[in-house]
Amino acid sequence: MSETPTILLVEDDPQIRELVAATLEGEGYAIVEAGTAVQGAVEAGACKPDLLILDLGLPDRNGINFIRDYRIWSAVPILVLSARSQEISKVTALDAGADDYLTKPFGVSELLARVRALLRRPAAEREQLEPTIEFGDCRIDCVRRQVTRAGEPLHLTDIQYRLLILLASNPGRVLTHRQLLLQIWGGRAVENNQYLRVYVGHLRQKIERIPAQPQHILTEIGVGYRFQP
Amino acid sequence: MSVRKFLPALLVSTGLTLLMLPLQEAIDLSNTALLYVLVVVLIGSRYGRGPAIATALLSALLYAHVFVPPLFSLAITEVQYLLAAVVMLVVALLVGHLTASLKAQAEQVQARETQARALYDLARHLSAAQTPIEVEEIASRFLGTALQANHTRILPESAFAAPPPPLTAALLQSALAGRHPLLSAGGDPRHTLAMTPLIASGPPHVLACELPVEQAGSEATRAFLETASSVLTVALERTHFAEVARETELRRAAESLRSSILSALSHDLRTPLTVMVGLADTLALGKASPERQKSMLGALRNQALSINQLVTNLLDMARLRSGTIELNQEWQPIDEVIGATLRQVRAHWKEREVTLDIPSGLPPLRFDAVLVERVLWNLLENAIKYSPADTPVELVVRRFGEWLDVMICDWGPGLPADGGEELFGLFRRGQAESSIPGVGLGLAIARSIAEAHGGQVLAENRMGGGACFRLRLPLGSAPTLSDLEDET
Repeated sequence: MSETPTILLVEDDPQIRELVAATLEGEGYAIVEAGTAVQGAVEAGACKPDLLILDLGLPDRNGINFIRDYRIWSAVPILVLSARSQEISKVTALDAGADDYLTKPFGVSELLARVRALLRRPAAEREQLEPTIEFGDCRIDCVRRQVTRAGEPLHLTDIQYRLLILLASNPGRVLTHRQLLLQIWGGRAVENNQYLRVYVGHLRQKIERIPAQPQHILTEIGVGYRFQP
Repeated sequence: MSVRKFLPALLVSTGLTLLMLPLQEAIDLSNTALLYVLVVVLIGSRYGRGPAIATALLSALLYAHVFVPPLFSLAITEVQYLLAAVVMLVVALLVGHLTASLKAQAEQVQARETQARALYDLARHLSAAQTPIEVEEIASRFLGTALQANHTRILPESAFAAPPPPLTAALLQSALAGRHPLLSAGGDPRHTLAMTPLIASGPPHVLACELPVEQAGSEATRAFLETASSVLTVALERTHFAEVARETELRRAAESLRSSILSALSHDLRTPLTVMVGLADTLALGKASPERQKSMLGALRNQALSINQLVTNLLDMARLRSGTIELNQEWQPIDEVIGATLRQVRAHWKEREVTLDIPSGLPPLRFDAVLVERVLWNLLENAIKYSPADTPVELVVRRFGEWLDVMICDWGPGLPADGGEELFGLFRRGQAESSIPGVGLGLAIARSIAEAHGGQVLAENRMGGGACFRLRLPLGSAPTLSDLEDET
């Protein structure tokens, strides 16, 4: 990654493009703008961005297809901007390979938080460097497969441990129900959101101070879960 | 009239004669004549006029031949015997005729009563009919039992162009023009097509059916069809006007909804917009102090967010009302959606205290999380907006039998005296013209969503002041999960 991260912004509405570009430039990022999917694809090849911000409602192409095509050759994180009426396409975009989403209208602070989270080094890279993850009063030792809370060891089942690791190694990012089910249980369980909810509930009982008002494993209603360190 | 009916006449008169033969000496001749009259009455009451007359004639002959001296001869020697025989014949004829007439009358009355009952049934069933299709079904059933009619249809004039065969447009038109049942040869020789016009102030129809040929010819059938048609006409007219009334009501509702939306938009959208334009202009002048500028920018943002809330509610309402909303229901614990909503509410109203009281171990429910979040958000927003800023808003979850209740209670002024049902209407505000932003859609949306889930939203005053809104959802029975962990 270069010194100044480059962000490619694909958004057809000039006012929102202007706003997002101005905000991010103010934070020291380099911004490349595109108004259409075609232009966006060209720029994506030319400028090699570190992050792609994509509006789902582009005039010339379905944003989901754009993501699918892009994911074939690039692993660069994608932040999706969606309108409120696009609940389902939001989830589809995440399942297709987008990394996070923001619903319009969004606040500037939210936008910056998401951009910062996505520009952190990807999970795989960091785990090699840092075999322990810490959040709140919990600590995960990935080498010894041990989780402690306030120094006391926590007894997690196999599934609970994998679920926690998966969430904790993607801090600040939303993981859809489908992605979690696929990675923990494999392909045969992708429709069984109820399993996931049961296990997340158990996990919250063990790591959250008030399980009904979680601080770390946050629910993204209708989408999935987001881990907050 | 079949010959078979005359057979009993023959048998009974002959039988009586044979029976009386041995008793000839014992019984007086006039009594014998009376017995013959009795037989005539019996035959007449059972088999009608023809057999009665036949019996009378036969009896007179037998009487004259067998019993009146000289025996076994038709010759009558004495005048008084002749008189007795003639009187017997006349009495027998008269009584037989009268009995037979009575019987015919009784039968007619009974037939009329059956028809009247059938018509009454028809009218009774028709009173429940809501649509022309239902009227047609009832007519079909009714004519099927009363007249053995097949293929009963009620065709509006608009369907005349392409009627089901063997009906033709010309036949239907002439039936309509004729004002009386029109009969025409049907598709097969055993059936006759009967077409009865149904004409009232609404659009005209024709009742068409296939009748058995022998049934179709009678005057009674024709009369019956006419009576039935007048009942059907009334029913059709009623459904027509019910439809017109429904359409008018829909139009009126749409009209009032539109005007409500317009007035809500003109007031609730224009106010924040005016403020925003003013704030932007003042900021552009650049003369305000930095602190003031900062607070103005904050106000600008808040106004924009309140417009966003308004537009969101309007869109939600439009989607719920148009019926295009599809529930994405899944079994899930209520904790999750409550936790996520509370988090958002606390982020939005940072200074406000919102408490949560939820028992652990609640069973999962089947609901659409995104929509239920809208309900909770709307109820919490109302509670926060309509109660003093220094009082807490309380969210309490309880299980009551087969229901799970999420109660959102505040320490505000409570509900109006009439129980607050009014608040659930569209564009209803707790305080009609107030500085509290909103268009009065929140509760209507909440209720629509709850009802789509088979639940409800209730409002009540709590003990000690303040209002409580209750989202009530059915628990149902969640599918049991096999333990996936064991399989991995």
